[in-house]
Amino acid sequence: MSDIYTAVVDIRETQLDPVAALDFVSDPRFGGIDMFIGKVREHNLGRLVTGISYDLFEPLALRTFEAIGERARREIGAPMKLYIAHAKGDLSLGEIAVIVAVGTPHRDEAFRACRLAIEAVKHEAPIWKQEHYVDGDSAWSEGCSLCEEHREAERAAPHGTKAHAHGHEH
Amino acid sequence: MKVRIRLFGALRDADANGYIELQVPEHCTIAELRELLRDHLRTHAPHISAGLVQRSAFASDDEILHNHRTLPENGQLAILPPVSGG
Repeated sequence: MSDIYTAVVDIRETQLDPVAALDFVSDPRFGGIDMFIGKVREHNLGRLVTGISYDLFEPLALRTFEAIGERARREIGAPMKLYIAHAKGDLSLGEIAVIVAVGTPHRDEAFRACRLAIEAVKHEAPIWKQEHYVDGDSAWSEGCSLCEEHREAERAAPHGTKAHAHGHEH
Repeated sequence: MKVRIRLFGALRDADANGYIELQVPEHCTIAELRELLRDHLRTHAPHISAGLVQRSAFASDDEILHNHRTLPENGQLAILPPVSGG
């Protein structure tokens, strides 16, 4: 059995399941488990949010999740189980959009691999978020360009005071 | 050859079918396809900004295709606007 699990979950069929993630990464070899759960929150950039629709390019999203898992394994250099699942469809406030869970021998590897994986999912996977607001308006979120030439231009540009390293916050 | 470009995210607004079909030269590169798509959208979906197409990546089911690459033989592509998962 593979020790990397990846999934795109159609929210019309089922919810994302943190218990399943915990079960998958549990192993007698592992003393450390870290899990990140991303949920739909009420506010974004000062606007009241009622829900989020997620659009995914599924075949490439799954390949990207697997590549992220392999990168995390190389990076931490320890035995590891990794679970990445992302929701697809229309989510309401408080519903789970993404789960990343990692099991490793010790906590440091688990924290590092989990952080690496969730950041990579947000910045590299072909997933798009459309926010719906209380006033009836909707908007696609500003995102990270996957276009090589554009990413290089962003890296070369001086950054302002924003915390995020490529010119926008999310 | 004819290519079919699947649309995602904000670019879904470019065509209600969820894809755009274009007639393009054989051995066309991704950079050339980007120009052809921009011309097509200028006429057929003027509400889509040229900047959004510029910031978008092209992909097959398997990988991102950067500007120097040629089109996949099966003519099936996706255009991926800036991503915002999580």
